[in-house]
Amino acid sequence: MDFLLSYLSLAAIYVMLGLSTNLLVGIVGIFSVSQAAVFGVGAYIVGHFLMAAEPMSFLAALAIGMLCCITLNILVTLPSLRVSGDYFVVTSFGIQLLATAVFTNWTAGTGGASGMPGIPPPDVFGYQLQSSWQLMALCMAGMALACLCFWLVMRAPFGRLLRAIREDERAVAAAGKSVLRAKVSAAALAGAFAGLAGGLYATFLSFIDPSSFDLDASILLLTMVVVGGARTLAGSIVGPFLLLALPQILTLLDIPTIFAATARQLIYGTLLIAFMLFRPQGLLGERL
Amino acid sequence: MYSGLRYGLALLSLALSAGTAAAETIHLGAVIPLTGPAAVVGNQELRGIQFAIDSANAKGGVHGNKVEVQFEDNQAKADQAVLLFNKLVDLQHIPMMFVGYSGPTLAMAPLATRKQVLLVNAGAQADKLSTASPYLVNTLPSTSDEVKVMVKYLGEQGKKKAAVLYENDAPGIGGRDDFVDLFPKSGGTIVAQEPVQFGQTDYRPALLKLAAAKPDVLYVVITAGMPSLVQQLHEMKPDFLVAGSTFMADPAAIADPASNGIVHTQVQIDAPPDLSAAFKAKYGADMDFFARQYYNAGQIVLTVLDKLVAENKPITGKNIHDALFQIHKFQGLIPMEFNSNTATVPIGINEMKDGKDVTLKQVTAQ
Amino acid sequence: MILLQLLINGLVTGCALGVVAISFALVYSTTKIFHVAHAGVYTLAGYIAWLLVSHAVPEVVALAAAVLVCAGAGAVIQHQLYARLERRGAPHLVVLIASLGLLAVMQNIIAAVFSPNILQFPVLWANRTLALDGVALTYAQLLTVLICLAAYGGVMWFAHYTTLGKRIRAVASNPFLAQITRLQPNTVYVYVVAIASAIVALPGVLVPLDLGLQPYGGITPLLTATIAMIAGGVGSISGAFVLSIAIAELQNLSLLAIPGEWSIGITFFIFVIFMLFRPTGLFSAAR
Repeated sequence: MDFLLSYLSLAAIYVMLGLSTNLLVGIVGIFSVSQAAVFGVGAYIVGHFLMAAEPMSFLAALAIGMLCCITLNILVTLPSLRVSGDYFVVTSFGIQLLATAVFTNWTAGTGGASGMPGIPPPDVFGYQLQSSWQLMALCMAGMALACLCFWLVMRAPFGRLLRAIREDERAVAAAGKSVLRAKVSAAALAGAFAGLAGGLYATFLSFIDPSSFDLDASILLLTMVVVGGARTLAGSIVGPFLLLALPQILTLLDIPTIFAATARQLIYGTLLIAFMLFRPQGLLGERL
Repeated sequence: MYSGLRYGLALLSLALSAGTAAAETIHLGAVIPLTGPAAVVGNQELRGIQFAIDSANAKGGVHGNKVEVQFEDNQAKADQAVLLFNKLVDLQHIPMMFVGYSGPTLAMAPLATRKQVLLVNAGAQADKLSTASPYLVNTLPSTSDEVKVMVKYLGEQGKKKAAVLYENDAPGIGGRDDFVDLFPKSGGTIVAQEPVQFGQTDYRPALLKLAAAKPDVLYVVITAGMPSLVQQLHEMKPDFLVAGSTFMADPAAIADPASNGIVHTQVQIDAPPDLSAAFKAKYGADMDFFARQYYNAGQIVLTVLDKLVAENKPITGKNIHDALFQIHKFQGLIPMEFNSNTATVPIGINEMKDGKDVTLKQVTAQ
Repeated sequence: MILLQLLINGLVTGCALGVVAISFALVYSTTKIFHVAHAGVYTLAGYIAWLLVSHAVPEVVALAAAVLVCAGAGAVIQHQLYARLERRGAPHLVVLIASLGLLAVMQNIIAAVFSPNILQFPVLWANRTLALDGVALTYAQLLTVLICLAAYGGVMWFAHYTTLGKRIRAVASNPFLAQITRLQPNTVYVYVVAIASAIVALPGVLVPLDLGLQPYGGITPLLTATIAMIAGGVGSISGAFVLSIAIAELQNLSLLAIPGEWSIGITFFIFVIFMLFRPTGLFSAAR
């Protein structure tokens, strides 16, 4: 049962990350391979405050984490507004690699390469959550909140504005709407989702290290959005659930273990190519 | 009449079920990195375990029970390790797992305590592993144990000024921290330190910077890329001693004449030549340190299982754990003793000479 | 002496990086595609050469074979993947993601076939050192500098003095016009990616000759090379090459001042600053 619960908890966390990536890449159209970096910042901040000399409550630490991630995401996406799409690609890679360098080298803050072990389980309004069921419920609640938020935003005028920007940025600017403000707001929201996911991840796993927040993780997030479907809520949910289940499905097939492992990465890569060639809208999304 | 038949059938089915119960497969697990940069090591670990299990099964298994190991790839990542641990325990009721790599193992440790599943580590040496969980046993000494031995040796050799080259990840930083802590305590000074990335093979800039500090010994803590390091050191024609730990014992590096004179601590674990040859014949690769370590760990687990089955005890994590400590002295590839969660094994000081790794002296870790 | 040695090492790394940058720039300025999978071709070259040399094929033949195989690979990638995507009107983001996927596929096939271990070339002369006046250089390093400089010269000559080269530059500067003046941009694209892949095979073989082969090590040099390309100005071959050497020297020399673990981080940090204040690069062609 624990296995199913931990799968559901992780899937919920990755759905929040999927929403974050979808907002940035799918809806606003900013290519980003640095979402895992923001995720990591959220996780480390919450971990740090939960284990500080005067430990904070989970919700307070989470709030700080989300705030930092919002700020970080805005800062990180600002260059994209000045620089044309392709140049931003390199910037985004650079930001991710820089973040990984900080996570690995700033031992005082993040525990460095050895990571941060022993993060305590969360407490919600004074009630301490301990069992796998309770943790899963918390992650699911977070996911539900994020999905609701996303859905509401997309239905609101702001959502329509974002779609319009995607179609034709200049027309929107000509109509007098501030494109910059819209993009920055979207980046902020994406940052909030990533921060939420990071905080939950830290308490769920009780141990974090830089390897969960590296370039490969960012690419996995991109794959989730691409496969599930860009720009839609359904796509952001389906993608993570499916891709997290993939390694488990693979183990049901009888491939020699040494190949099964590389097979997983191969499949991710092939999925990316295949979907881009034959179904760029993913399973349940709209055209990228 | 029919009642006789019924009794007969009942007796028959009882006999049959007893017969089939005797030949049950014992299922164990292994959560190690099989993809990504850590796969180099993970695959050797897999082979070591598999080799031990296959040899045992060929001889009829443990009292007639076959042993099967379910391998899972954690990609050297903590979250994958947690997922896979839960999967093995929930879905397959695995009582014991082989693990490797400090990060993921530390993530699994609290779960192992809670679920009473035994984790056997034969590859990772982070100091935290010794106390991470009562259900985590380490069959090899921690980094600080090895560093202690080397620091003592360097003191005896009159080396006072050390530079450190370390890999910028958990094992490297752990080794660096231990060395930087222990070397000054025995009267030496650290003159320079330089990090390199895991998998980076261009050591020249770092080596130049370290050499410029004029050390009389360079302590190296890297886990991959030894052959390149050895060549690049040789190019520099260094006037200092190069020292390291068990990580240095890469067969390609040892065989290269450029490695002459390098000393390192070595967790003593040798395989008899016929075993190495059989391993090579089966897998096409040399039986390196990790393969030997995990083969040895496999032997230990088989010995423990043997005892449990002989005493007709159920194969649970708790029983395996208790039996291991009851037996506490094992003779696998090397003799080892469990007085705590980390085995006491001899650590040697080796020197690389003319393509061979020669043991200069042996010390037993405390 | 340490300074001189660091400079020489930086020159070697920089020349190799320069060729990666030129070849990437060739693809990017012509097809406008951010061909991330170029890192996969770079990696492939080393393994092809290693495979042949391990079977007692002479090194020169192995290098030539690697160049040819990569040229073929490049042509196939352009013709089968990018051209198809373009026919479907795929936006930049889609092509980029497809290229990322291709890189993952290439790296993992190589890792599956050759194992993820670091492999060394079984070539004895490569590591013999040439000592001159206090600095040491291995033959592999020397060869890298010579061949990469030659490649740079070759590309410059090709771009300015051959018909195909001029055709490529024409298509790059104005694809629309090229289309209607029957310069056949699509065929040109295939040539371009093939040639670029052939060129990148050179450092793809020479660098691992010195430092060893790994399946996952291609992305960092590629990213550094793209930084050089952008900082040098897209469209300027010399800009890309010179900036590559500059960055390599910067990374080496920075060791004297800052701890080694930050040298890659610093490079990207500088790039991000550059992007904010001078996005068109130092030597960009007049736009």
